[in-house]
Amino acid sequence: MSPAILDFVEFSLAGLCVGALYALTGIGFVVVYKATRIINFAIGEFMMMGAYFFFGLAAQAALPNWAAIVLALIAAGTVGGFLERFIFRRLIGESAISVFMVTIGLASIMVGLVEIAWTADPRSLPTFLPDQPFFVPLGSAEAFLASKNGWSFIIVAAIMAAFITVFRFWRGGIALRATAADQAAAYSVGINVPGVFSFAWILGAITAAAAGILVGSISGISSAMGAIGLSVIVVVIVGGLDSLLGALVGGLLIGWLEAMASLYIGGEYKQVATFVILLLVLVVKPYGLFGTHDIERL
Amino acid sequence: MRTDRRKILAGLGAGVVSSTVPAPWVRGLRAQEASEIPVAIASPMTGVFAFAGIEGTDGANHFAQYLNERGGIAGRKLRLIVEDTGYQVPQAVAVFNRLVAEYKVPLFLGDSTGFQKTINEEVNRRGLLLAGASFASEIDDPQKYPLQYMPGPSYSAQVGMLLKHIAATKKGARIAFVHSDTEFGRDPIAQSEALAKTLGLEQVEKIVTPPGSFDVSSEVLKLRRARPEFTVFHGYVMAPIPEFMKQMKEARIETQFMGTFYSSDLGILQKMGDVADGYLGVNAYNYVNQEGVSGPAMDFIKKANGGKYRTNSYLQPWTNLTLGTEAMRRCIEAGKEMTGANLKAALNTIKDYDMGGVIGVPISVPGNSIGVGRIFRANLKAGKMDPVSDWIKAEA
Amino acid sequence: MRIGSAKQTYAADEAIFKTNVQRAWFAALALALILFPFIASDYWQLLACLIAINIVAAMGLMILTGFTGLVSLGHAAFMGVGAYTAAYLSNHLALPFWLTIPAGGFVAAAVGAVFGIPSLRVKGLYLALTTIAASFILQSIFFNWTSVTGGARGLTIEPASFFGRALVTPGAIYWIAMPIAALTVWWARNLLRTRVGRAFIAIRDRDISAELLGIELLRYKLMSFALASFYAGMAGALWVYLFRVITPESFRLIESIFFVAAIIVGGLGSVRGAIFGAVFMTLVPELLKIGASDLAPYWPDAVKLLSPVRTIVFGALIVGFLMFEPLGLNEIWQRTRQRFALWPFRT
Repeated sequence: MSPAILDFVEFSLAGLCVGALYALTGIGFVVVYKATRIINFAIGEFMMMGAYFFFGLAAQAALPNWAAIVLALIAAGTVGGFLERFIFRRLIGESAISVFMVTIGLASIMVGLVEIAWTADPRSLPTFLPDQPFFVPLGSAEAFLASKNGWSFIIVAAIMAAFITVFRFWRGGIALRATAADQAAAYSVGINVPGVFSFAWILGAITAAAAGILVGSISGISSAMGAIGLSVIVVVIVGGLDSLLGALVGGLLIGWLEAMASLYIGGEYKQVATFVILLLVLVVKPYGLFGTHDIERL
Repeated sequence: MRTDRRKILAGLGAGVVSSTVPAPWVRGLRAQEASEIPVAIASPMTGVFAFAGIEGTDGANHFAQYLNERGGIAGRKLRLIVEDTGYQVPQAVAVFNRLVAEYKVPLFLGDSTGFQKTINEEVNRRGLLLAGASFASEIDDPQKYPLQYMPGPSYSAQVGMLLKHIAATKKGARIAFVHSDTEFGRDPIAQSEALAKTLGLEQVEKIVTPPGSFDVSSEVLKLRRARPEFTVFHGYVMAPIPEFMKQMKEARIETQFMGTFYSSDLGILQKMGDVADGYLGVNAYNYVNQEGVSGPAMDFIKKANGGKYRTNSYLQPWTNLTLGTEAMRRCIEAGKEMTGANLKAALNTIKDYDMGGVIGVPISVPGNSIGVGRIFRANLKAGKMDPVSDWIKAEA
Repeated sequence: MRIGSAKQTYAADEAIFKTNVQRAWFAALALALILFPFIASDYWQLLACLIAINIVAAMGLMILTGFTGLVSLGHAAFMGVGAYTAAYLSNHLALPFWLTIPAGGFVAAAVGAVFGIPSLRVKGLYLALTTIAASFILQSIFFNWTSVTGGARGLTIEPASFFGRALVTPGAIYWIAMPIAALTVWWARNLLRTRVGRAFIAIRDRDISAELLGIELLRYKLMSFALASFYAGMAGALWVYLFRVITPESFRLIESIFFVAAIIVGGLGSVRGAIFGAVFMTLVPELLKIGASDLAPYWPDAVKLLSPVRTIVFGALIVGFLMFEPLGLNEIWQRTRQRFALWPFRT
């Protein structure tokens, strides 16, 4: 077992686990885009919100971890639904740029609110994941995988499986896909399109919040953690803005590429590598790997 | 309906604006009394270093109280003007330009290495003394930074103290540096790598993390390859040190974690959790809750805070102001004008000065820094830091 | 009260100042701008310089986003390019400010044109995301190209000198910044009268139709990026003469967002909107600061809350204007003028 191959395997595992978290957040983004065609620039801040809700409930209100997680997700979903009902529903019909800028404004507001409630200090989340690391046997050597990374991957895989089931088989999921495909047609067959919008935002917010809790448990939380949203935007562009599969593949791919960049080029260049990939994809295949090509009509 | 809402918004807007309008005329009209000496402070009271800024502002205000109770600076009262910078260099520069023009201060306290380096030309032009929260080795150079000083040993000196401790503990030990890819993080590395070589230590890895990255697993994998016996962190306040320590323990890397001034604060280490127990940090000061430490300054601090723990960031401006006002006092008593050059010369005459318990030994300021520090081990179960070395003098 | 205006020549119809009353008002404004530094305090002079710089940058972004419809979230990075260029030329070649500022503009224009190339393949929000990537790539260059940009430490610059006199105070910089701002406003307004300006607007409204009409999209989109970046570069160069310090942290994504917010709040698509937006967005944080320090005697914690409140107000302004007044301050201005012009008739 040569050290180079061991390196490659270990770094790939680490990268895939990080990529799983990107993928989860990407799903939160894609769900909203698919149903409402809104690019949610505040996706990173939704993650932050979920992490801080968990922090407030678990660390400050001293609730047991599982209760705190469930309540935090519910709270995040409520916020998502609230935003849809009172802000985004009023913006139906406005240009995409305007709505995009509204999400940017929302991101600022959320950061400010978090800073007022919890200050800008970085904090640690209570641990709720098991501590045992994974040692994957590989020939004569063992590949090391940190416990949080491994568990994040497992949790994300479980959530992903649930998503696929929901979207394939449950009426609500089918309604969402119908609305995404053609709003007018969905209306005419009796689908409650505004309801679908609410559902999409609530689901997107919950997903982002879950990802936020996992990311927060790895690297702590702070009012600046929304910056991860930019990496997520790269993921969904690479995967295709309206493709759940694309978010999955894109997330894993970007996570893996970042780890490879760290191994072969150096840790400092991780973020630049991500943005160079973004530019390349935008120039070569702007709609991503799995996105639907928008045909513009006059 | 729409017009009503518009009218309400218009009314609110007008109200907000009119409530602030008289203020600009009122600001700056406060007459400066001749029996006061103003000192301006640019403090990061908001933003990522808010905890340091708030602690620092308290430290400065308490020092002013302490000093004025004891007769001030040769009979004149110390007056502090504090403004927030949000830890942004352009904002700090704007605050500097405005406060120095308005109040003609002999001493200015800054908030970051970046600010202190970039404002250097301006400080030299205007002729005042500058100190701050930075321990950058580059600033520890009286040729390039003639009017600046720092409240402790430079980062290079700090890492040097850690390296000497390592060399004394185990000859030829394997060490690794983990630092952030910022100016703060890069500062002592080149010098420290050279010193490690001179001391016969084997540097097996150097990890550079981009600012704001959240995943350290790939870096931990590299450290797993390298198997350092001592890991020195620098350039971070908290994250991602605890995550590194946790994952490295998981990866069964047997290593002693060490860090420089900012990560050596008890409050920060407690926030990191149990994984930080046993962390070795180099500090420029005694801890406020340390046993067996007393002196007029330390006693005042303990009383003024009612036994509440105060972090290193509280003691920094305390030290800066102690030295700065001492320089002013010497200038006044020698009958010299308080220009930057005169103040610096007076500062450099400080030899074997007693810091009243804040620092355990008498100090001198021959150049731009105080060359002493002490290594402490985190004893989180007992809630304190135990000294593992005596006060070490950094080599000049 | 001006009901209609009958013009007899195209030139008269397209004139910027159509009536003598308008000309009189502008003369008064010009006089006020000239007298300003003599009556205002140091603090307001600094604000005036900042406003002038922001007007230049906002005007550039207005041309790109307001006139041509290309959303850019990388505008601040181009300001950074201009700033670093000016600093480098001043430090290494000892060029005077009246050369480095335009040079900053031209270098930024070139860089802007390069990063505008994706606009041919991607549109709308995808383009916005490309510009975000451009912003990060440029920031990484600022950070890592140490030999030119000074790396993490950044660069310092000698003050601009005018016939041997060093321009150190904001009051002195005002005399460079204000004329440049006035020039850029005039150029932008004039742009709307020219073929290029009309081409930009055609691209904004329907670029496929524009192409069919014979407007070469490649040429005009790149020209728009170049022009907008030229303004940004000059704004950046002015900025560096004001602060005399430039670091990679000076022009980040959040500054780009500030300018987009400024032109939205001001009113997309109008020169006046860029001015209103720049002035408003620069003054709001200052007013908040004054308000906080007024509250400080009664509520000491007010100052600590200032930064998050500023962040919230910034976001709330964007959301609020987009929801309730999408045409921005310009629209409010027009409506108010209309009400006065038509009084006592209802509008």
